[in-house]
Amino acid sequence: MRKTLMILCFCCIAFLGGCNKETEGNTTSSSDQYEIMISAAASLTDALTELQKTFETEHPDIQLSFNFGSSGKLATQIEQGAPADVFLSASEQDMDRLEEGNLIDQNSRIDFAKNTLALIAAQNRESGPKSFEAIDPSKLQHLAIGEPDSVPAGRYSKQVLEEVGLWEPLQGKLVLGSDVRQVLTHVEMGNADFGMVYSSDAAISEKVKVLAIADDNWHSPIVYPGAVVEKTKHPDKAQVFLEFLAGEEGKTVLHKYGFH
Amino acid sequence: MRAVLDVQIQKELPHFDIDVEFKANKEIVVLFGPSGSGKTTILNCLAGLEQPDGGHIRLGNNLLFGEGYSMPPQKRKIGYLFQDYALFPHVSVEKNIWYGVPKKDRPKKEPIIQQLLDVLGIHHLVKKYPHQISGGEKQRVALARALATEPSLLLLDEPLSALDEETRWQCQDELLRLHQLWNSVPFLIVTHDRNEAEKLGDRILHLDKGKSIKEQNR
Amino acid sequence: MGSGDYTPLFLSLKVAAISTTIVFIAGIFFAHLLAKRQFFGKSVIESIFLLPLVLPPTVVGFGLLLLFGKNGWLGKWLLEWFDVQIVFSWIGAVIASVVVSFPLMYQSSAAAFEHVDIRLENAARTMGASNWRVFWTIAFPLAWPGLLAGLVLSFARGLGEFGATLMLAGYIPGKTDTIPMAIYFAVESGHMEKAAFWVVIIVALGFSAITWLNWWSKRNMRRFANEKGR
Repeated sequence: MRKTLMILCFCCIAFLGGCNKETEGNTTSSSDQYEIMISAAASLTDALTELQKTFETEHPDIQLSFNFGSSGKLATQIEQGAPADVFLSASEQDMDRLEEGNLIDQNSRIDFAKNTLALIAAQNRESGPKSFEAIDPSKLQHLAIGEPDSVPAGRYSKQVLEEVGLWEPLQGKLVLGSDVRQVLTHVEMGNADFGMVYSSDAAISEKVKVLAIADDNWHSPIVYPGAVVEKTKHPDKAQVFLEFLAGEEGKTVLHKYGFH
Repeated sequence: MRAVLDVQIQKELPHFDIDVEFKANKEIVVLFGPSGSGKTTILNCLAGLEQPDGGHIRLGNNLLFGEGYSMPPQKRKIGYLFQDYALFPHVSVEKNIWYGVPKKDRPKKEPIIQQLLDVLGIHHLVKKYPHQISGGEKQRVALARALATEPSLLLLDEPLSALDEETRWQCQDELLRLHQLWNSVPFLIVTHDRNEAEKLGDRILHLDKGKSIKEQNR
Repeated sequence: MGSGDYTPLFLSLKVAAISTTIVFIAGIFFAHLLAKRQFFGKSVIESIFLLPLVLPPTVVGFGLLLLFGKNGWLGKWLLEWFDVQIVFSWIGAVIASVVVSFPLMYQSSAAAFEHVDIRLENAARTMGASNWRVFWTIAFPLAWPGLLAGLVLSFARGLGEFGATLMLAGYIPGKTDTIPMAIYFAVESGHMEKAAFWVVIIVALGFSAITWLNWWSKRNMRRFANEKGR
């Protein structure tokens, strides 16, 4: 029974390996192929997908695979031993958590991108406040933000709203999303009057417009820390990717997607 | 004189067509034939549970079926004793028997029901549930239930086939006695048992593959 | 449970109770309507009824947003004519719950009605009973064990509904936070004690509902056991 299972597993692996070779026309030999698993914040999806092609062309021996999710969830996965070589977080807090647990290589940690927080409305909405201070709670039904305790964008949103004195007045009108995507959906479909997301998220949605950008001083810095995961089997290859991301090519693409 | 029941129907079935014509007065008519000769379908057509393709059914002065009309089963005033009695398993014998009597008629129907219970000897069963009584008792309860509505025609589908030999003889006698008491209405009995047909029927209609092949008066 | 806020409990009970009532009536209605009928397109209709079981909850939720959102074609109409807003309200939670639990009620009741011997219903008809009376005195009581099973399943499914509800009702603390949402966000933010508290409550609710079903059906099945086993 066990033997059969083993054989079956080998077959699967062989088959999958075969597939990979097929999809990648430019690989010369499969013996020195490294697969790097990158656990990345969901907001990085589009930028990383674009970077993947460039990177793999430049480094034919390294193949990237991604696991996108909320930073908190990814950190928990890594804590529980999920396979990952690089962790790209949307919040310092989650990275700090892993650093304290010695789950990342401290020396590799680097802030590779910055973001700002935007107040958005549906593209076809006629009027709206020109700034955060101008938000009038009595004139809106629902403001969508990320859930402050579990979604980093939500935490920054809460800080901003507290700073401008709107957190209390808006209670009961705040629709808390489980991720930024949901906040975007609520605004795009016109169900929430306004929403607060990262500028980078606002940049990739064609159905929303940015009404205002939050002052950097209103919230703790929104930086994207990245690090090599301590348990990786290919620390040098993981480092190569991290440097590529923080380098010129990475910056250009990140900028294009609304990061700074 | 016009017959009480006048039937002339056609109906297409998967393996053969039913095409029968018969009349019945206040007598016992037996539809006799092998199983699968369309007997039950004929009863269902009379009761309004199935629709013939053509023909007519008259009962007394009423047209039950024909001329593009079909009276719903609820209004036909036909008592139907199903092959396995179809007693309602979730209510008592008493409630089964009273089921067809409208609430407002219940006080004035009391004597009739009591008489039925007497004749059939099922007084002691009224508080029981169908699964607590024997086959013969079930048959009597089902008869009481069918007659409690005071139907103008009683249909009996293999009424005795589920019973053992001895009970069957007993019940045949009882059916005959019951018909004496209720002889204002025709009884239409379906059976595949020749002895039973001959014992019960004033008239026997021999059926084969939906056609009447012989009519026999006793 | 620092805050001592019990809105999720009451909201969940309210939503599950209302949605179960709606689903119970609608499920029985459609199951009885279709159970003993054969017609062209019946399987298509049944597949549509069962679709919410197959689709991921977020897809169901997105579909409901398209339908009931402020600019959705039903939502727009409800807002204009009745001033009722479905999205981001507890009514939205009821609708999400109804949609995901209806298939369970429909399946259970369809099976239950198909098992009711048609001859019993016919016997009632020959005795003059209207279709309405046949339903209430014969079909309904005889199908009751199956209907009850559907009822409990729907209640349990409604109580645990999360994905579609989060999309349609949103998460507004104190307004649309059902127990599953409270659990989800407590886990996500690492408040494990709070999560455990709600898990205990929802497990207790689900557990007692199922225990009650087993107790009830054992008590009631016994009465018909002989008749049915024949």
